[in-house]
Amino acid sequence: MALRISVDTGGTFTDVVVADEEGNLRIGKGLTSTKRAFEGILAGLAQVADELGSTPAALLADAEVFTYGTTRATNAIVEHKTAKTAFFTTEGFPDILLLREGGKLDPFKQIPYQPPYVPRRLTYELHERIDSEGEVYIPLDEASVIDAIDRARLAGVEAIAVCLIWSIVNAAHELRVGELIAKHLPGLPFTLSHQLNPVIREYRRSSSAAIDASLKPLMQDYLQTMERDLREAGFAGHLFITTSFGGAWRPEEVVERPIYSIGSGPSMAPVAALTYGKLELSEAEASELLVCDTGGTTFDVGLVTGGEVGFANETWIGGRWVGHITGVRSVDVKSIGAGGGSIAWVDAGGLLRVGPESAGSDPGPACYGRGGTRATVTDAAVVLGYVDPTYFLGGRMTLDAAAARTAVGRDVAEPLKMSLEEAAAAILVIANENIVGAIRELTIARGIDPREVTLVAGGGAAGLNIAPIARELGSKRVLIPATAGALSACGALYADFVSEFSTSTYAETRNLDAEAVNGALAAAEARADRFLCSLGDVDLTGSRKDFFVEARYRSQVWELDVPLARPRITGPADVTALEEAFHQVHQKVFAVHEPGQYVECLVWKTRATAVAKKPPVRARAALVAGDGSASTPPPIAIEPAYFRETGSVPTPRYDGELLPAGSVIAGPAVIREKTTTVVVYPGTTATVTSLGNYSLEIQA
Amino acid sequence: MSFDPVLLAVIANRLDTIVREMENTLLRSGRSAVLNMARDFSCAIITGDNRLLASAEGLPVHVIGMEKLAKAVSDLHDDIRPGDAYLHNDPYLGNTHPADHVILVPVFHEGKHLFTAAAKAHQADTGNALPTTYMPYARDIYEEGGLIFPAIRVQRDNRDEADVIRMCKRRIRVPDQWYGDYLAMVGSARIGEAGLSDLARRYGNDLIERFVEEWFDYSERRIAHVISQMPAGTFFGHGCHDPFGPAPDGIPINVKVTVDPVAGMVELDLTDNIDCLPAGVNESETCSTNNVMTGMFNSIDPDIPHNSGTFRRVKVLLRENCVVGIPRFPASCSVATTNVGERLVVTTQKAFADAWDGYGLAEGACGIGPAFAVVSGTDWRKGDDPYVNQKFLGSQGGPAGPEYDGWITYGNSVTNGLMFRDSVEVDEQKYPIRVGEIRVREDSEGAGRRRGAPGTRVTFGPKRNEMTAAYVTDGFVYPPRGVRGGGPAAPSVPFKVLVDGSEVPLPPISAELIASGELVGHLLSGGGGYGDPLDREQDMVRLDVEARFVSVARARDIYGVVFSHEAADGTLHIDLLGTEARRAELRAARRTA
Repeated sequence: MALRISVDTGGTFTDVVVADEEGNLRIGKGLTSTKRAFEGILAGLAQVADELGSTPAALLADAEVFTYGTTRATNAIVEHKTAKTAFFTTEGFPDILLLREGGKLDPFKQIPYQPPYVPRRLTYELHERIDSEGEVYIPLDEASVIDAIDRARLAGVEAIAVCLIWSIVNAAHELRVGELIAKHLPGLPFTLSHQLNPVIREYRRSSSAAIDASLKPLMQDYLQTMERDLREAGFAGHLFITTSFGGAWRPEEVVERPIYSIGSGPSMAPVAALTYGKLELSEAEASELLVCDTGGTTFDVGLVTGGEVGFANETWIGGRWVGHITGVRSVDVKSIGAGGGSIAWVDAGGLLRVGPESAGSDPGPACYGRGGTRATVTDAAVVLGYVDPTYFLGGRMTLDAAAARTAVGRDVAEPLKMSLEEAAAAILVIANENIVGAIRELTIARGIDPREVTLVAGGGAAGLNIAPIARELGSKRVLIPATAGALSACGALYADFVSEFSTSTYAETRNLDAEAVNGALAAAEARADRFLCSLGDVDLTGSRKDFFVEARYRSQVWELDVPLARPRITGPADVTALEEAFHQVHQKVFAVHEPGQYVECLVWKTRATAVAKKPPVRARAALVAGDGSASTPPPIAIEPAYFRETGSVPTPRYDGELLPAGSVIAGPAVIREKTTTVVVYPGTTATVTSLGNYSLEIQA
Repeated sequence: MSFDPVLLAVIANRLDTIVREMENTLLRSGRSAVLNMARDFSCAIITGDNRLLASAEGLPVHVIGMEKLAKAVSDLHDDIRPGDAYLHNDPYLGNTHPADHVILVPVFHEGKHLFTAAAKAHQADTGNALPTTYMPYARDIYEEGGLIFPAIRVQRDNRDEADVIRMCKRRIRVPDQWYGDYLAMVGSARIGEAGLSDLARRYGNDLIERFVEEWFDYSERRIAHVISQMPAGTFFGHGCHDPFGPAPDGIPINVKVTVDPVAGMVELDLTDNIDCLPAGVNESETCSTNNVMTGMFNSIDPDIPHNSGTFRRVKVLLRENCVVGIPRFPASCSVATTNVGERLVVTTQKAFADAWDGYGLAEGACGIGPAFAVVSGTDWRKGDDPYVNQKFLGSQGGPAGPEYDGWITYGNSVTNGLMFRDSVEVDEQKYPIRVGEIRVREDSEGAGRRRGAPGTRVTFGPKRNEMTAAYVTDGFVYPPRGVRGGGPAAPSVPFKVLVDGSEVPLPPISAELIASGELVGHLLSGGGGYGDPLDREQDMVRLDVEARFVSVARARDIYGVVFSHEAADGTLHIDLLGTEARRAELRAARRTA
């Protein structure tokens, strides 16, 4: 039987999803091993194999496609375990990676300044300079390059990043430096900035190149080892790696540009949401989605807008403005520091606060019993009766409810003179508000009205507080997939093959040089065609190319992405259409536009999408009672839970796996799924959809 | 607490979110570099009765005093209604300085004026007599020459008052750029209006009004608590702006601080200062207030809200016709937000540090020297289009505090690290200039147990047509000072690189014509240090030397750290015994000195 397997290796767990030809999904969770990806994969596969009465080897032998996502690259950067990397740059600018673009979040708060991604002692200045119009101002002094290479060799560097000023308009110097590195340090991985990410702004391009180069030795080794392990275990199908573009690539392409594996796991959550949304919602509803993925320390938010997964140009590792920017476009997933581990406290003015401090997963919330004593969001959920202490993470862990009560009582209830349950409910309200504020900021900055989106919630804690979050946002509907606990891994099952190619060519619409622009578009499209051709042996159902330009009004410095209706500029009508499209996007995002003003265009892009053949999604058995009438099965238990609106009430508990499609459950109720928990709040109704997911109707 | 404490937190957070929504809009859609790069803008929400309610993380120099702008609107207009917007930049009616334009939009719900949404942004040009928004030599506001808008109505029913727009477009250089920034500010204020209207619909006027009082009370409790934990006492801070024109000996700054933890009050007294000068360096009333308060907020718990409730516990004493007080019309406040304003901030924070260990900060770099010049000229690539805009190429050092080293991309004390830096490539694409160099300036940091951040060395010039660079350096004569044994930073030095490559000094305050082939240059100062450099952890000194912040010689002579050798990858090894001996030697030398 032809299986599809997808895997998401996170920091703690490796999620494994196995889909058969009928669309039956099985989920396994293994502990991640940082040394060897295959260990976690094998553990997850073993769980699935147990359920099916099979073996991991048999599953692998039956698999046609294996799609893999990992946080390996991100973790290596955060833990400073990347390669020893040198940075080659234009003379006069050795501190690009130190100075960044400036900026800081809080004017009054003193914080330590983070060192540059590549230390100054491994930064080498090359004697050369190209001007903004592409002319050579100072010719490349090859002796300065050889000297830098010699010093880098002596220093024992394992990779080199090259970013020269204006390499995006004239790449000759960067290319020559590349040749010299290949000649004098054969086999040493290096990255040329204009090839990786041809964007204007020397910091972004330098940071991209530095991060990419530093990941090359590591990701090459990691992915090649994993592929060898899979092959040795009997896998003979296609292997793909998910990328930050929200699609899959062949492993050799990821090894070539490993920076795109940053966020390869989380970028799949919006893909999963879009897939489920298209199946479960009206077309209008499915085209505007807010995708929430909750973890222990963060709450990740992504967007689907106009039926497409949302992209961002800014991803920072280690904090916005103060960390390191990846500089490359990626699926827009923002992490909000508000997870189950966020700590609740009362400040000196008597105000309840949640976060920013987090107990994380180690020591974790008080109820974990691992040394954490301060009250957290998870402790509040335990006190309220939302989380079953005996069935946490599908029964993998037992929680200490008494410790949760002690912590919430001492840290919040006593100082605020509230009952224990009131205090716990208040903690959730504040935690929710932190999330609501961040979501509003995110959506409104993109011109999206949060009241008009449908939420799709994933993650183990997805269902605990998503309903009140939706209500505060003014959203009317939430979709919680039954597979919420492995949303990213599920997304990888449905991933297409996506890549983007861009060319920087400056043009103004008031006197647009169509020849130059079309040259830029053709160059990007040619690379897109090569990408699509390379997938010749893969089972596809179609492909498409989309065209974009990054543009801004005169004097602005931040660009907006504007879709192009046609692949080339063929006449004045196309230029007018471009301007018009820009005015519209500007109005949507910034609430104003300037009719008659010309537009500056910077980067011309082609996005190539090859549509993969996907497993079907299997319907759940429908709700039909013995006599043909529909009725919802009885709860497995009734236990108290506390809600702000009602106080403590007897609350029915359901086992999600026993609920047929069509079941309607009115709040208050709690539905237990193997990988997640859905709290149906008073005033909310949960319906089990035909595909076995949960649709929550939220009353305003 | 009578108000639901949970709802209190929820609404307060929502207000900050709305301010951030406004800020995002202004930042990303703004046209002038001073707005979209330097983040020299701020947004705030003011109550219907003109008290500052929310400002998220706005620039301190902008936000404090925003309520006075809304008050001017309600004092001058008796027909305020939904759909209005007001333009205000009048420094005698509560604004910071004329270069900051402010758009104020009243927000109504059920007929009641509940809030005012305000967006303030430093403009690239405001029609001054010279192509710069900083006019230090202007003897009065007439010589300044820019347009002054005393809270005039600029939109009715959401439509521009076309007369005003035409007037501005006639009188402000590069009018499209100004109009773009005007649109960005209006967009920002309208996005604030939409968010606030939603909030009012959700909770109703009555509850919102009760929230406001409760939030001010809460904020007051927070700062009162912070003050109650401080030592009691009165202390003085003395600082000095560099000499220039009408002030040949510099401009002395005197701050008197009184902390009364029992009453929970802080008093900041600026009355003992010289009269207004016939120059553009006078502080506006708002800048006098917010800069001395910034110095104080830099010195205490950063977590407290900054609003009219907080300000009940801070008393600022000013006198009329004082250089750091209340300017008397027509005294010019053209440069009020920087220079003397910056000195006021750093003098205040240094006074706290001098008084009590563990409080306050050293002095940070000051002034807007050549690396932050307003440049103007014509662009041959664009049919000789004129251009005028401020550059933010440089990076000057932040002050050390009791816990952390100074912030490297600090900007200056009034922006406190919030501002962005220009991209070399973006600047060269937009303007006909070439940047020669931007690198950390070795040994420019103020040494200390916590060191100030280093400054940088910056050069740039026109590619073809000549360029004017207008700048106002400070810290050339009086560089940023350290505290509690910390050392001073290197001074801020402007210079010019001639065609033959030789370097010549430039005056600290000037508008210089830079010819093709020449470069304007700036050695930017660092920030002052905090505590004795001999107490700095040896490993941190090692990292500073490896980073080229500190030379090997300075590590030995000032920090007393000696290295045994350097590895091929530039890693240094500390000579532990040598360091111990060197530090003992330096301490002994101090005792005999």
